Amino acid sequence: MGLPNAIGDLSTEVEVEAFRRLFPLRFYEKHLSESIRPDARPLGRARDTTIALGAVASANGSALAKIGSTTMLAAIKMEVMTPSMETPDEGCIAIDFHMPPICSPIVRPGRPAEAAPVVSKQLSDTILSSGMINLKELSLVSGKAAWMAYLDIYCLDADGALFDTALLSAVAAFSHLDIPEVSLNDDGKIVLLSEEQEGMSDRESVNKEKRKVTLSSVPFSLTCILHKNYILADPTAEEESIMETLVTVVLDSSSQLVSLYKPGGPVLAYTSAIQDCIALTRQRAKELQKILDEAISGMEVD
Amino acid sequence: MAAKPGSVPTTYPPNPGPKTRPPIFKDNDLDWVRPDGRGFHQCRPAFFRTGAVNSASGSAYAEFGNTKVIVSVFGPRESKKAMMYSDTGRLNCNVSYTTFATPVRGQGSDHKEFSSMLHKSLEGAIMLETFPKTTVDVFALVLESGGSDLPVVISCASLALADAGIMMYDLVAAVSVSCLGKNLVIDPILEEESYQDGSLMLTCMPSRYEVTQLTFTGEWSTPDINEAMQLCLDACDKLGKVMRSCLKEAASASQE
Repeated sequence: MGLPNAIGDLSTEVEVEAFRRLFPLRFYEKHLSESIRPDARPLGRARDTTIALGAVASANGSALAKIGSTTMLAAIKMEVMTPSMETPDEGCIAIDFHMPPICSPIVRPGRPAEAAPVVSKQLSDTILSSGMINLKELSLVSGKAAWMAYLDIYCLDADGALFDTALLSAVAAFSHLDIPEVSLNDDGKIVLLSEEQEGMSDRESVNKEKRKVTLSSVPFSLTCILHKNYILADPTAEEESIMETLVTVVLDSSSQLVSLYKPGGPVLAYTSAIQDCIALTRQRAKELQKILDEAISGMEVD
Repeated sequence: MAAKPGSVPTTYPPNPGPKTRPPIFKDNDLDWVRPDGRGFHQCRPAFFRTGAVNSASGSAYAEFGNTKVIVSVFGPRESKKAMMYSDTGRLNCNVSYTTFATPVRGQGSDHKEFSSMLHKSLEGAIMLETFPKTTVDVFALVLESGGSDLPVVISCASLALADAGIMMYDLVAAVSVSCLGKNLVIDPILEEESYQDGSLMLTCMPSRYEVTQLTFTGEWSTPDINEAMQLCLDACDKLGKVMRSCLKEAASASQE
């Protein structure tokens, strides 16, 4: 075939930006063979990550997480529900992931992005199965009332690694969660015990000791791209669109495997590649734990 | 609901109902102060920043007190297939709220009324003939609703359009005034809006001194309307300067 040669000749003549658009895969492979990526990262390095807690005042807990330019805003609103008969002293968590049209040129109003329900399901599977939150802590009055935590995550800017950023923002929102102090009123409803009423009302708080949730084992994730023998950590949207085999590994704080997704793709994952991904995730989980701890201690100073 | 479809029980927020809240303003209460301590004719401090969303052609973030919005602009890009041929460009606007934006958890759906108001307030300021056959999409998301949401969305959208390099005659600044009893309060917060007797919103192009949209609802007397309009025009003029300086800052930062 004469084509590869023709492209090879072209690459010396056309400008870099044009080459990148015309032959994206060759453009990337040229970088990968030099162990570098177009944004100057080594293959195994994730982008800069920041967490800001308490971004939304109208929610009980909220956090803004950024990995590179991918931005997620997570907020938790607490409401009261009657627990089901099978689990009378357990609360519930409802997780929803949204991709509003502002986040990407692909999403249009009225036509939700295909990725949104997939990430939404992955998130609730991961958070509920990791055992991070003990649902018993969300109980208020056994059999009568319990908390329903509505966790909504909005993607404000989509540039790859959506699941990783969404999970990070969700975890950070739970660590910022401040459960309001409530009491049981005469009608059997749960009402807010606000500061001004505290003096005159003789009602007792039903959750004085339970204003924070304990995060027992925090899940952290890393998405990698498999392409030939290369493993690229924390891909951008451009990388995800060119090389389609993704592996997402979720580990908890004690490096136990919580979940592993490999949703198809043309590259088959061998054991060694999966092990490499897990090793990268282990390293990344430590980084993320540090960033989260810093964000939390930063809040306590204020 | 993602957790367990079908099995989600009905829930209620633990806040006491609105009837237990005392009205913030009574008819003869002349010493009344606004909940956030502002003067009647004083706006909240405005914060604007362009370039909030990298994947958009242009974007802006605005924060007025607790009101926080993001606007992204995409395009000019191909119009929908079903659209008829058009010599002038099209403007497509959409405003939506997050589920946690309001004090009571909402559905996070599109706000049709605001979408059309945003469209009408902007279309007069944009040179639509500069992008024939194509569409410019203006999408707004209200992250947190703290009152005067629509005016903030409109001002923020015109900044995002400027950031995207869409040709405009001028920036569009928007301000609203609430009528509470005999008082006119500018840039009302959510609590004041819930007790208002009437509301007026004015959007204008400050340097041309042209009004692109004027709406009022509720009870108004003619002198009040005149006063409120003058208040809005003055406030828009100041807001326009803040928006202009935000654009200048962004431009000088990118040059360095």
